Amino acid sequence: MNPLLPFLMAGDPSLEALPQLLSGAKALGLDALELGLPHSDPIADGPVLQAAAHRAIDGGATPLRVLEALAGLTDSPDLVLFTYLNPLLQIGAARLKKLLAPTPVRALLVVDLPFGEEPAFEADLRAAGYPMVPLLAPTTPLDRARQILAERPDPGASAPFAQRFAYVVARLGVTGTGQGTDLAPVRRRVTDLQALTTRPLAVGFGLSDAASLAAVRTMGATPVVGSALVQALANGKGLGEILAPGLR
Amino acid sequence: MTDSFALPTRFGAQQLGGCYAPETLMQPLFDLEAAFRAALGDPAFLAELKGELRHFVGRPTPLTPAPRLAAKLGLRALFLKREDLTHTGAHKINNALAQALLARRMGKTEIIAETGAGQHGVATAAACARLGLSCTVYMGVTDMARQAPNVARMRLFGTKVEPVAAGQGTLKEAVNEALRAWAGRCDRAHYILGSALGPHPFPTMVRTFQTVIGEEARAQVLEQSGALPDTVIACAGGGSNGLGLLVPFLGDGLRRVAVEAGGHGKALGEHAARLDGGRLGVLHGCKTLLLQDEHGHTAETASISAGLDYPALGPELAGFALDGQVEVRRASDEEALAGARLLCETEGILPALESSHALALLSALAAEGAATVLLGLSGRGDKDLSTYQSRLGI
Ligand SMILES: Cc1ncc(COP(=O)(O)O)c(C=O)c1O
Repeated sequence: MNPLLPFLMAGDPSLEALPQLLSGAKALGLDALELGLPHSDPIADGPVLQAAAHRAIDGGATPLRVLEALAGLTDSPDLVLFTYLNPLLQIGAARLKKLLAPTPVRALLVVDLPFGEEPAFEADLRAAGYPMVPLLAPTTPLDRARQILAERPDPGASAPFAQRFAYVVARLGVTGTGQGTDLAPVRRRVTDLQALTTRPLAVGFGLSDAASLAAVRTMGATPVVGSALVQALANGKGLGEILAPGLR
Repeated sequence: MTDSFALPTRFGAQQLGGCYAPETLMQPLFDLEAAFRAALGDPAFLAELKGELRHFVGRPTPLTPAPRLAAKLGLRALFLKREDLTHTGAHKINNALAQALLARRMGKTEIIAETGAGQHGVATAAACARLGLSCTVYMGVTDMARQAPNVARMRLFGTKVEPVAAGQGTLKEAVNEALRAWAGRCDRAHYILGSALGPHPFPTMVRTFQTVIGEEARAQVLEQSGALPDTVIACAGGGSNGLGLLVPFLGDGLRRVAVEAGGHGKALGEHAARLDGGRLGVLHGCKTLLLQDEHGHTAETASISAGLDYPALGPELAGFALDGQVEVRRASDEEALAGARLLCETEGILPALESSHALALLSALAAEGAATVLLGLSGRGDKDLSTYQSRLGI
């Protein structure tokens, strides 16, 4: 099982720093990493990731420059590009596939794209090797969860984690504000979802301390750490220093 | 519990609209559509809504002939649909009250809303006070400053006004924050969106609750003048008063016009004119005409009127515009100010800055051959007095 799925915002602190952060993550033994493509209107993000996106945009991290910065990188975990639909829609599927080809991006997590809204765009990208990560929220009934997992199918056990996992949103709300998230309902939820699917599950939104990361692992799922990591990096800490305790 | 939508979610040849929502909000949106459909089929709900619109809101609103203004502009006749005379002073209350009744029916105890000009916020605050619902309104800090009287009114009605400091501090940021808040409290809160925007079912629901404007106006103009006008016109922020007025006239052979904010220039960032300046894109849960930069980031906007200062045109109105059923025009800040002054001087009515954008287009319509015009006066201008004072030097 993948022990941790970290989230970084591309371009924060800078695009120049990105290759080193990614190789650092790889050196820590991480299979996969979520990379945020900064957007002007991140409606599902809390204050920490909003601020990171705006710092990145102010620093010139446009979608094209981020993808250029990723082109040719091999010393990196598999990347899940985490973003909102509009920038990708403006690039268009045909051009996006070409831009993604030389990068370590293996899947897309588009927060505001439920299955069925852009079927041609989604099918085109999936066929090219860029599946959309299924998102399962606390409000998602199990019947709908089953449908989401079918619409965004598991490419099979030989595919990498980045292309297989489903993202379990641990609680209501936006990223990063989960002070003391009660993990008991999360555990019940993960158990219910594990009865539906054999795919790997990642659990995110508001996890930060080593104890809750470890608790998610005991559920047989991969914890996502996002806002806490982005905040610590912004405070000048190093990636290894931040992540190593949570990996033990 | 339903897990799909029953109503059409898309508009026009370009299939605008849709439901581009985070997964957390999908089930709440399915539930909302189901509750909306059930309410529309329930005579008790419709009777309650009708009663409240009559006794609380003050409907039907008058249709006022404006002969002195018509003469000045070279029109044969001009009729003003007086949404400014509703309780709280703008058309926003038609939708806010209806959604508040729906929320109560759904067993929701809290209301979340965004506001730009503050009219939707005030309307929602008033409806919540009347129905005993707790209410939080998100408002950009720029708008709080320029629409200060409305902030005080909301607070008097017991609503919590949450300042939103991000970005330009206007309507777009307020919607961002309201959507975030709803994702956190969707188990107990209903989000009353104030314009014909957002993910399905909001655009359809808001338009449905606003068409009372056009239904009344159509009957009134026939009664007063014995004929339909040759032109019907309204201003367009997201498009709720525009659709509300224009939709009941869609089957008629006349010009339907919506007026966007031309701001103070033609460059991106200087206006909120989405038809000329926008491209199709997705913002706040729907696909529509959107002011955006080359990266797909939402562009900045500018308008003297907070209620029109928004980067996206509502998807249904954008669909009508692209399909040629509604003409979308623009009026600049200066033209809107002049339009407001002229109405004040000729008819003794102080319009909202938003509504003044429709007034500003009247002389152009007359020059293009319009003779009889019905104009949606979406709101009153008391909230804009300080802007009028400083910009008109009075
Ligand atoms: C008086 C008035 N008119 C018009 C608008 C624009 O909104 P819409 O296009 O949804 O009618 C507003 C919005 O705040 C308003 O307050």
